Amino acid sequence: MIWNSKIECMSREEMRVLQGEKLKKIVAHAYQNSPFYKARFDEHGVKPEDIQTIDDIVKLPFTTKQDLRDNYPFNMLAVPMSEIVRLHASSGTTGKPIVVGYTEKDLDNWTEGVARCLTAYGLDKSDMVQVSYGYGLFTGGLGAHAGVQKIGAVALPTSSGNTEKQLQLMQDFGSTAIACTPSYALYMTEEIRKRNIDMNNIKLKVGVFGAEPWTNNMRKELEEKLNIKAYDIYGLTEISGPGVGGECECQNGTHLWEDLFYPEIVDPVTLQPVAPGEKGELVFTTLDKWGMPMIRYRTRDLTSLNYEKCACGRTAVRMSKIMGRSDDMMIIRGVNVFPSQVESILLEFPEYEPYFFIEVDRVNNTDTFVIQVEVKPEYYTDQINQLIKLRQRLASRIQSVIGIQPDIKIVEPNTIERSTGKAKRAIDHRKFE
Amino acid sequence: MLIRQLSVFLENRQGKFAEIARLLGNNNINMKAFTVSESDDFGIARIIVEREKIDTAYNLLKSHSYAVSIHQVNYLNSPNKPGTMAIAMEELSKAGVSIEYMYAFADDDSHNSHLVIRTNNDELANRILSEL
Ligand SMILES: [Zn+2]
Repeated sequence: MIWNSKIECMSREEMRVLQGEKLKKIVAHAYQNSPFYKARFDEHGVKPEDIQTIDDIVKLPFTTKQDLRDNYPFNMLAVPMSEIVRLHASSGTTGKPIVVGYTEKDLDNWTEGVARCLTAYGLDKSDMVQVSYGYGLFTGGLGAHAGVQKIGAVALPTSSGNTEKQLQLMQDFGSTAIACTPSYALYMTEEIRKRNIDMNNIKLKVGVFGAEPWTNNMRKELEEKLNIKAYDIYGLTEISGPGVGGECECQNGTHLWEDLFYPEIVDPVTLQPVAPGEKGELVFTTLDKWGMPMIRYRTRDLTSLNYEKCACGRTAVRMSKIMGRSDDMMIIRGVNVFPSQVESILLEFPEYEPYFFIEVDRVNNTDTFVIQVEVKPEYYTDQINQLIKLRQRLASRIQSVIGIQPDIKIVEPNTIERSTGKAKRAIDHRKFE
Repeated sequence: MLIRQLSVFLENRQGKFAEIARLLGNNNINMKAFTVSESDDFGIARIIVEREKIDTAYNLLKSHSYAVSIHQVNYLNSPNKPGTMAIAMEELSKAGVSIEYMYAFADDDSHNSHLVIRTNNDELANRILSEL
């Protein structure tokens, strides 16, 4: 089912016209009402009149997370506080948090995005959605909650934590969907097993998973263990929250709601747009967000966009899985290297553990590129040649994908740090002065 | 005959092998033979212990996070006199068996020499060697 077929299935040409009209309005609004944007546009010599169609967006300067921090808390707002009806904040891992203010209309548009996602997952007013994202300053809980109510389903606001109670209510009330982070869902499957809960008592059919990157392997595991279809919901606080986009029943890319959030892919080094379909950094412009418009906001997420019509009938552009972050990019021997590339190559090899650590240095004016890896226990052998061959295969594969040859260093089991996500996966010893 | 051998992956860090020797020794496991082969930045230690203690040794090393595995290798116990080894090598070669690695060790009383031979076909090698 499709929540807003007029928009979600609009022809590409019509969509670009609509985006152009909206961009014109929001840019003018930002320039006139936000001292931050006025200064930024003036600095770049661009005026609202320069923006006539969506193609003109490339004339506009970028914004970054640092801009949000520098203008903490309210300097980026483009309306008086009397127009703001809600604030959200994301806990910054470094320094100040970032704050986002929403008008009534901003909240409606955000909710519209979530409603489109939930409908694409096959949910409707006959469903009960257990919202196990945190409620509070974090956008997950309240964002998902509003969308659930919008489609007429029952919102069960359990928030995160207290897993025992979550599982009890899930059985007693018969929740048909759960919205949470994929890692919390995996934790729940563990608890279900430990507590010997009969899966017949669990009526879930859909998982609404987001707020962190996850893999297809996790999807498979969650779908099998919970007997559900697991769908991605994408979003970020700066742009509004969950529901910037979501997957459809095809599970073949995340549709982005581009009448509200205009996506571009740029080369993270040159900041020039890449050819359609190519990988680069995702940049968003909020086309209908008035409290705190974000113009060409650099997400640092690496992905690619597919503009082909989807088998589900939607024309809304599809984003591939997030392939990593541009802020951990390193330039080694003149080649851009992303730790996420190393990770995805490593996952192709059953012989290796999925953990690695990259060490870069400069010796005699040449960059060294060492990747520490671990071999899975069952692949250790008594024959040194087999390990040397295995090491060579990985080095060749990385050379062919990334373009430079690494030194692969096989290390003893459990020497590489295990935590996922924010774990430090590279160190650069080079000095650039 | 075929016997079981422990193989331990070692990053080339000084003292690593001594660490293993101490660990086994402290747990009353005697190394009857060992050899370390090395590449540029790692090595593999191959260790023979008393047959009844190999599983204990394996679990011990494993619980200390070593990359340890057990493999079957050929074991040849021959009188310590000239020519025995040459004959064995000739027979294997005739049958098309190639040797991946081998090492020898002597008994306490030095009347016998013991050979550990790892080939590309250890079952066949075992049959040939037992008919010598
Ligand atoms: Zn679709």
